[in-house]
Amino acid sequence: MRSRFHRRALRGTVAVASVLAIGAGLAACSGDSGSKGSQGGSQGKDTVTVAFRTPNWILPISAPGFTQGENATFTTALYRHLYEYQLDGSAKYNINAERSMAEAPVVSNGGKTLTITLKDNKWSDGKPVTTKDIQFWWNLVTANKDKWASYRAGGFPDNIADWKITDEKTFSLTTTKAYNTAWFVGNQLNRIVPLPQHIWDKDSATASVGDLASTPAGAKKVFDFLTTASKDPKSYATNELWKVTSGPWKLDKYVPNGEVVLAAQPTYSGSDKPKLAKIVLRPFTSDDAEFNVLRAGEIDYGYIPPANLSQQSYLESKDYKVAPWYGWSITYLQLNFNNPKTGVLFKQPYLRQAMQMLVDQPTINKVIWSGMAAPSCGPVPLKPGTTDANGCAYSFDPAKAKTLLEGHGWKVTPDGKTVCQAPGTAENQCGEGIAAGTPLAFTVTSQSGFDATTKMFSEIKSQMAKLGIELTIKEVPDSVAVTPACKPTEATCSWDMSFFGSQGSWYYPVFASGERLFSTGAPVNLGSYSNPEADRLIEATQFSADESALKAYNDFLAKDLPVLWMPNPVYQISAYKSGLQGVEPQDPMNYFYFQDWSWKN
Amino acid sequence: MTTLPEVPGVPVGAPPLAVDADEAPVRGLWRQGVSVFCENRLALVGLGLFILLAGVCFLGPLVYHTDQVHTDLAAVHLGPGEQGHPLGTDGVGYDQLGRLMLGGQTSIVVGLAAGILATFLGTLWGAVAGFAGGWVDSAMMRVVDAMMSIPSLFLFMLLAAIVTPSVPMLILIIGAFAWLGPARLVRGEALSLRSREYIQAMRAMGGTGGRAVRRHIVPNAIGTVIVNATFQVADAILYVAYLSFLGLGVPPPAANWGGMLSDGLADTYSGHWWLLYPPGIAIILIVLAFNFMGDGLRDAFEVRLRRR
Repeated sequence: MRSRFHRRALRGTVAVASVLAIGAGLAACSGDSGSKGSQGGSQGKDTVTVAFRTPNWILPISAPGFTQGENATFTTALYRHLYEYQLDGSAKYNINAERSMAEAPVVSNGGKTLTITLKDNKWSDGKPVTTKDIQFWWNLVTANKDKWASYRAGGFPDNIADWKITDEKTFSLTTTKAYNTAWFVGNQLNRIVPLPQHIWDKDSATASVGDLASTPAGAKKVFDFLTTASKDPKSYATNELWKVTSGPWKLDKYVPNGEVVLAAQPTYSGSDKPKLAKIVLRPFTSDDAEFNVLRAGEIDYGYIPPANLSQQSYLESKDYKVAPWYGWSITYLQLNFNNPKTGVLFKQPYLRQAMQMLVDQPTINKVIWSGMAAPSCGPVPLKPGTTDANGCAYSFDPAKAKTLLEGHGWKVTPDGKTVCQAPGTAENQCGEGIAAGTPLAFTVTSQSGFDATTKMFSEIKSQMAKLGIELTIKEVPDSVAVTPACKPTEATCSWDMSFFGSQGSWYYPVFASGERLFSTGAPVNLGSYSNPEADRLIEATQFSADESALKAYNDFLAKDLPVLWMPNPVYQISAYKSGLQGVEPQDPMNYFYFQDWSWKN
Repeated sequence: MTTLPEVPGVPVGAPPLAVDADEAPVRGLWRQGVSVFCENRLALVGLGLFILLAGVCFLGPLVYHTDQVHTDLAAVHLGPGEQGHPLGTDGVGYDQLGRLMLGGQTSIVVGLAAGILATFLGTLWGAVAGFAGGWVDSAMMRVVDAMMSIPSLFLFMLLAAIVTPSVPMLILIIGAFAWLGPARLVRGEALSLRSREYIQAMRAMGGTGGRAVRRHIVPNAIGTVIVNATFQVADAILYVAYLSFLGLGVPPPAANWGGMLSDGLADTYSGHWWLLYPPGIAIILIVLAFNFMGDGLRDAFEVRLRRR
């Protein structure tokens, strides 16, 4: 008996001691005494090794289940989109003129018709890219929209009343109603990818290329043929289908679930030609595995998992440059307006404002996220890289928050329980549906496994407690942290607040409108927020020609607080060899543009 | 005045070489146990360590006041001795020494309560199964076997993910699965005790099974139970540490040593050693203390080691 328990207990003790010993070892390694690596420079290298999950979809028409970011980057490296974008505010409709295959659309017919002219581009086999390749794409997606991951009912292509090819270089499309052109270009035309009709328009490997996709039935057959080929990764590098590309790279080697090598496409017709000969995409089984290899200096570009952020200085001492990659995203704390108990509280704008004033975004970003987060002030992301919260509608101000609560009939008890003492609907009373004695006590469902998130909610809980607002933090795994939208009568509607933004809550397409997030009944409006004015402004962002619609929508929701705006963690903390150039600025849309990369001479 | 009889080789006035055992002075069982326990130096060290750690954790905050509710982002990661923090501060500005005391309270309370709960449940289950025998024993022990076949840490994690972790909940979760070991041990003791003459006699006189378990089986297995309880407490403290290390411990601002150790490990590369060593060393010391005490208690309850 004794020996068994003794062994168990000793095992535990040994385990704890081991943690300490390992910690001691790591602490010893954390000094700056490590020998400096090479000081950058190419050393004759023309290859870059990148930590990158193995893509498993090559067809540039997204399919359900294959929409991971690595697939988007992979297909874009081989097949250019009609339009590429830049979010620095310098270009019309955010179109990146250099990378795009067409000129900016010309708008006519009261905003309904967009005429697009292709630039002079060639496929890698020397054939020109023409409107026939655009038509081919159109035929495939319209006939197979149920199998297209980017399809949304009522969206592209349902909202196209007329599609017309004018000549080899020009085509036009007329929408069913007038859209905001910036919205349409950013969020609808971003899906168009010219496809090599002269190679792909067939329904089997042995068939000859024809005009099969011009009929819906034929388009279905072609689509099935292409998707079947795309579901066979082991043949990616050998299948003739994938040899002709429009992008700056060609596939040199593909190992299923393993390494992928991209080689510079010598016949690439774009102006952003690759500067490196090869890009090696190396997958890792876990973040820890990737980080160990990064620490060993065996990859040129990788990322620091959030849990290892404290090792930034160590990596810098090993000749890596650490760069936060700001995403085109926002992060927020979701409020459940339909909660049968606390929903009435969240419906009070003053209460949301008071709680927002207790979130000290700048300090949390700086101290807890170590600068690897940016403020969220409203539904439209701040310009990537912005770190101050000066433009936020509600800055950190506990005194003002207290005044706000007391002015609405709450008896504020610091570090106690703040309760409603003046029920009613008058200006100085708690508000509709709030009974006397109602406390301000909420449960936050948050993600486990993120140290910074845990610390952030310790801070927010502490600030709220100072005004007698009791937050209970319940950490749950990622898979259940995204709480569902619900009706008050449903059992699943018991959640108060939820946070799933440890790596950003929501990543936008180019035009950051909120029709999917904050309009009444929207699919990702998890908190069931509803405000007619917000709905009107959101609709304006989609359908108004007014270029200030997006600003008006952002300004209104920034103040109305459909959610509590929270620090927005970076998409990724990148680390790359200091000799590698062209990595920054990193694309907020989360694409890699390897053709910009080169080694310092 | 009486004259002592002369015995060859024994000086007059000296105590006799041997006396009838029935006439030997018999010390109380508990006193003997305490005496044997005290002879085990390590057991005394363990007891002293436990008293010291418990004293620091529960009485320390009375003399060393810190704010363990409000964060202070202006004072994060201060080193030991800086700005009046003997052990520095952590990543949200909590005083590390105060946090160690607060965390120790949770670890010790959960460890003791879960250990006692597990021992109580296991003792009852094992005693009933062992005394009843037959199909009752088989059925009850198959339940134990079945539950033992599931890794306990997995079960703890599953439950901790479903319910909101709190101190009472952690006690219940750990206690609800840690009783299996004591149940098997006590069942073994009960199997041997139930055939003893005094139990047979009690049954012959009409004593019930319940009385036998309550008045004879459990009291006679108490040595095994108490020794085992110390190891259960040590195990429970480690389980709390494991769960907290996996992010399933009590939510902030509550603390426990396992959670502090986990946080400290994340900060290791930053050179914030004071976040790692103190909770780690505290866990080692408290677990060792209970192990040493368990060893001493085993000696104390082991009849063969007692003086006669």
